[in-house]
Amino acid sequence: MWQSLSSSSPIEIQPIMNHYPSKETQDCFYKLDKSNDQNLQFDSSALSSMVSSPAASNSNISSDNFVIRELIGKLGNIGGTSYNDQISLHSQSYANNNSTNTSCYSTPLSSPPKINNNNSSNNNHLVKPMMGLNSSTVAEFLADPGFAERAAKFSCFGSRSFNDRTTQLGLKNNAELPQRSTLLMENGKLSRVSSTPSLKVLGIGSQMGIHDNKNSPMEVGTSQEESTISEQTLNGDNGVIKTSSYMNSRKRKGSSKGKAKETSTLINHAMGLSLHGGEASEDSNVKRYKANDGNEIGTLKEEKESKEGASNGVDEKQNKSNSKPAEPPKDYIHVRARRGQATDSHSLAERVRREKISERMKLLQDLVPGCNKVTGKALMLDEIINYVQSLQRQVEFLSMKLATVNTRLDFNIESLISKDVYQSNDSLAHSIFPLDSSAQGFYGQQQPQNSAIYGTLSHSSVDPLDTTTLCQNIAMQLPSLHGFIEGAPQCPIAFSEEDLQTIVQMGFGQTSNRKSPQSQSFNGSNQVHEN
Amino acid sequence: MGNSSSVKQEFLRKWITGFRKYSSQKKNMSMVERKKAIKLSADIAMASTRNETTRWSQALIANASRDSNNKVLTENILESSTQHSEKVVRKNLMNLSSPLCSKRVRSRKVLRRSRSMIHKSSKERLMASSIAKKLNVQKRTQRLKNLLPGGEFMDDVSLVEETLDYIESLRAQVEVMRCLVTASELFINPS
Repeated sequence: MWQSLSSSSPIEIQPIMNHYPSKETQDCFYKLDKSNDQNLQFDSSALSSMVSSPAASNSNISSDNFVIRELIGKLGNIGGTSYNDQISLHSQSYANNNSTNTSCYSTPLSSPPKINNNNSSNNNHLVKPMMGLNSSTVAEFLADPGFAERAAKFSCFGSRSFNDRTTQLGLKNNAELPQRSTLLMENGKLSRVSSTPSLKVLGIGSQMGIHDNKNSPMEVGTSQEESTISEQTLNGDNGVIKTSSYMNSRKRKGSSKGKAKETSTLINHAMGLSLHGGEASEDSNVKRYKANDGNEIGTLKEEKESKEGASNGVDEKQNKSNSKPAEPPKDYIHVRARRGQATDSHSLAERVRREKISERMKLLQDLVPGCNKVTGKALMLDEIINYVQSLQRQVEFLSMKLATVNTRLDFNIESLISKDVYQSNDSLAHSIFPLDSSAQGFYGQQQPQNSAIYGTLSHSSVDPLDTTTLCQNIAMQLPSLHGFIEGAPQCPIAFSEEDLQTIVQMGFGQTSNRKSPQSQSFNGSNQVHEN
Repeated sequence: MGNSSSVKQEFLRKWITGFRKYSSQKKNMSMVERKKAIKLSADIAMASTRNETTRWSQALIANASRDSNNKVLTENILESSTQHSEKVVRKNLMNLSSPLCSKRVRSRKVLRRSRSMIHKSSKERLMASSIAKKLNVQKRTQRLKNLLPGGEFMDDVSLVEETLDYIESLRAQVEVMRCLVTASELFINPS
């Protein structure tokens, strides 16, 4: 998500820019636009963070840094473009769509512009870290008290519009948020054209199509993001927000007239959103659209034209500069030839290879006994070869020995293993003692270790002769063995004990034929352990 | 080597279960047969514990399963470990049989070329000692390659890596087997 967002952000920014260039005449708007662009990026990042952190659903700004960031991002968006769209969507539910739209737009402009500017400056910082995936910048934001306040204000705005939208759309679930964010991302990436057809398919009027060409997809994306954010953060505030949104919208009306371009674009977006939601308010949208049409059409054209303007270029450059640090440094092997060494690629590669080999040879040196004293590759190889050979011979010899031992005992390996390779050690050790006094000498050394290690297990094993015989679950015992081995610092010892026990058990299995009661007791002890 | 104990344990489990299955199928084995079976089962169990990661183990399993007599054993051991390991074996067989042959040819070519290079350089420089050293090293790497299962198809870097791993696993194997032997001996002949 992050990467995709970051990659998509420049694209998104461009469309946004397209919308706003028309506003170039208005300085404040322009600033807002820039901030919006940055905010959009920020929103995407914030959204992802929101998605990641479910705790963000709380309306408390102070609770989560992420929330604050999101709010900031929302605020920026609200002040910019998407906010109006969202409001318009809400307004669909309300009778006064047009008025709300314009008013909404105006209010954010009037009151929040300063905030937006601040946000934009902050956002720039934020965007960079976001791009680089650094959380440190976010922390800085959080540290600023002013941010929290702004975020709160913005959140109120966003919550008003967004909560309404969310309620209308029925997107109350957090689980939907990630999807939306992805959708937003896709929209941004896919360009407006792709998103517009979908809107048309949904049944948007021809007007929608006209308006949407470029503006709608972007706005829709932003509005979705905002709505998601608002849902998470502002759920508690819905009632208040709604009322406030009405108030704000009316206040804004006056200021919004000059900014009709933005509102129109927002309206278009809102139309798309409403259509998506399947609301029957298409008529209302059309009306809104008509009201805004005069302004919108002119502004839209201007915006489209201005997309390629210098302002866009500047913004794009900014975005690029932001995105650049995010790119990870390319991985390449850095080889430097010393004086007198060949510098062509082949000899360099050969040198790298040799270095690798010498590294591993050093490791081998540590592994092979007696290899430390030897110098020179040939001698070292000799040592290694000898060691490997000796190990292989040892394996051979040991297998031979095992075979002879087994034959002499004439034991049935099957029975032995089936009996239990993995019976608990204690039971074996204890059981063996009574059977063979001679065995004590052998186990005498290891028993203390066993008891120490198995301390907990041994309790049952001592007495268990009385217990009834039960089937042993190898699976049950295995975990215990694992735990034991892990706990024991000395691996070989642990293992040897295990082996010994298995063997002992094997032997025991044979002997058990003579002394059946004892064997039963052993089994019982094992079971006790397991249980 | 933090996981050596778990490796050993897995090895022991595979070894014993595999050997048990094998011996259950084939009874009245002679001493030599039994010894072979034990060794093979131990080798394969060790290889199967290291199967996914190392080439030597893959080669070892492939070699073992190439032999028709041993096939049963290998399959048993691998079955005991996991079901998909059989597929792995087949895949390994496929991988080892076809591309490795070509690799062998290539490596011979390279060897020939390098030898000729050395020859030339010796003529030119007359540095007999260095050449002798190189030849020594080459001879030894060749020997090491012969020792390592599947070593013929490894280049120098991977050879050293595989040797590292192989030595480690061999050590574990020897330790386990020695424990078993000592334990069984003690049990049989308590002094």
